[in-house]
Amino acid sequence: MEPIIEIKNLVKVFHSRGRKITAVNDVSFDVFKGEIFGMIGPNGAGKSTTFSVLTTLLKPTSGSVKVAGFDVEKQDDKIRPIIGIVPQKLSLYPLLTARENLELMGNLYNVPKKVMEERIDYYLRLVGLESSADRFTGGFSGGMKQRLSVIAAVIHDPEILFWDEPSTGLDPQTRQAIWKLAKKFNTEGKTLIFTTHYMEEADNLCNRVAVMNSGKIVALDDPETLKKNTGGANLEEVFIRFTGEEVRD
Amino acid sequence: MTIKTEITDSFIVAKKEFKILSRKKALLIPLVLFPIVMIVFFGYGMGGTVKNAPILIVSSDTGIASSSLVQEIGNYTAKYNGNPMFSVTYTKDMSQSEAESKINAGMYKGILMIPSDYSDRVAKNESTTLTLLTDSADTTTSGLIISFMRQVVAKTGSIILNIPNIYGHLEFLDFLTPGVIALTVFMGSVATTGSAIAGEKEDGTLVRMLMTPVSKRSIILGKTIYQLILQIGRAVVLIIAAYLLLGFNMNGSWLLFSLVLVIFTLGGVGMGIIMSAGVEDYESFMQINMLVTMPSMFVTGVFFPLSSAPNWMQYIAYCLPLTYAIDALRIIMIKGQGLSAISHDLIILSLFAVITFTAGVRLFRREA
Repeated sequence: MEPIIEIKNLVKVFHSRGRKITAVNDVSFDVFKGEIFGMIGPNGAGKSTTFSVLTTLLKPTSGSVKVAGFDVEKQDDKIRPIIGIVPQKLSLYPLLTARENLELMGNLYNVPKKVMEERIDYYLRLVGLESSADRFTGGFSGGMKQRLSVIAAVIHDPEILFWDEPSTGLDPQTRQAIWKLAKKFNTEGKTLIFTTHYMEEADNLCNRVAVMNSGKIVALDDPETLKKNTGGANLEEVFIRFTGEEVRD
Repeated sequence: MTIKTEITDSFIVAKKEFKILSRKKALLIPLVLFPIVMIVFFGYGMGGTVKNAPILIVSSDTGIASSSLVQEIGNYTAKYNGNPMFSVTYTKDMSQSEAESKINAGMYKGILMIPSDYSDRVAKNESTTLTLLTDSADTTTSGLIISFMRQVVAKTGSIILNIPNIYGHLEFLDFLTPGVIALTVFMGSVATTGSAIAGEKEDGTLVRMLMTPVSKRSIILGKTIYQLILQIGRAVVLIIAAYLLLGFNMNGSWLLFSLVLVIFTLGGVGMGIIMSAGVEDYESFMQINMLVTMPSMFVTGVFFPLSSAPNWMQYIAYCLPLTYAIDALRIIMIKGQGLSAISHDLIILSLFAVITFTAGVRLFRREA
């Protein structure tokens, strides 16, 4: 299988008030083209930091990270056009309508107008927001915002999708809808990497799952193998086995 | 990333800013009204206009020096709208406490006390002290009296009173408008740039924007284009309002006027970016904003001539870019002078713009 993301010895250190925090500590793994790759781990495990490095928002302290063959440090401008990001913090302009938010994204990614309009109509229908297309997103429910965020990240038809906790705080219906979208985008050939705190979500969707703890990858395999190797009945048990029961800050 | 796409991107950003602004009705109204309210309130209400301010001269000295001093003050005929600024009366023998009680009672705006040995000391070239009591509750008047008396006293010796016609035939509005324009542009560009960035940080849209291929430069350029149009638009509204409501004259070049505004707005935008770099949300930004813009408002001579301010205040004012913008706009709008007269202001304002902009771009990190 062909790797689309290659991470070798990634280290990311933050300095905060004289303290040195190693958020990601010597992590190496590959993500293959066309797979759905999940990252799970307790709070503070380093998932979001790894994500930020992969999406060119943070520069690695050391190590090498390549996305679609491009170096995240030197070729970030090559990476940004081919990735689509759903950030953890919903980030839509509340005083723009759903359509305007999508248009802004399309314009910033330089999508030709005609193609963009077609995609916007198609995706709004796909997620059932066509009747709210011209409403300000400030008045949207959490689920509506999330669906909009997900389609805002595909307007430019990216090769790789990054979803940071896409289903946190959503009702089961919206969660199901998000899963369907994940599978749909994946069958269209897009690689999807996401983080989650819902073990059944990782179990349902992922070809492979990486378990992170204290800045390191402690396990990486397909969900079935992880369960078999640890004797866990479900991914939640696997998770606790690898990361312990202690509650994190 | 070619220059063309950067510019296209920056226009996308600017367009978005305008679209969002057009929907912030609650912000739009004060943005336009603020300068008009300032002009109307300060132009009509506070009025730096000093008319017939009563001044008392207490002198028991009958020597030559004191007589001529008294005469000079009495002959001073600076006028506002045809009214003399001061009406002077004279008396002999009054103690300082008595004089203070007269000020307290509101009978006089200022009392100048000439010691009985004044003339002798002047004749002998010795130092002597004149006591000037003013009604400091009335800041405008007392400021004017102080600055006036200072100029008189500075001439001791030959005592020739030659007060330049700074206030002579000026309406206070003429003096005020350039100051309010500069203040509006400064507060507006700093506050709207910074608060928009801080707000976008808070709701995550800024990070979202930085995840797209758009360069940092394009985002900043887009915000700057938006600010330039917005602030110059506000200045135009203010000038029209000042003209329609109170009658106002422009004596200088509109081109120079625009040049000063553009350079100053750039500095303000840079300032706003720097100030928003250290904060994570809108509210923190507004607090920092108050700290930075309020002193500028009161110290730099928007509402009173800087020359009548105490020295320490003048020193602070000379460190603030707003002072130079006000100075340049007054020179253009009131005195109608050209480029050479405002060159030092322009140099300082350009430096301000270059420094804040460079620092702003550096501090405005892609890293979230």
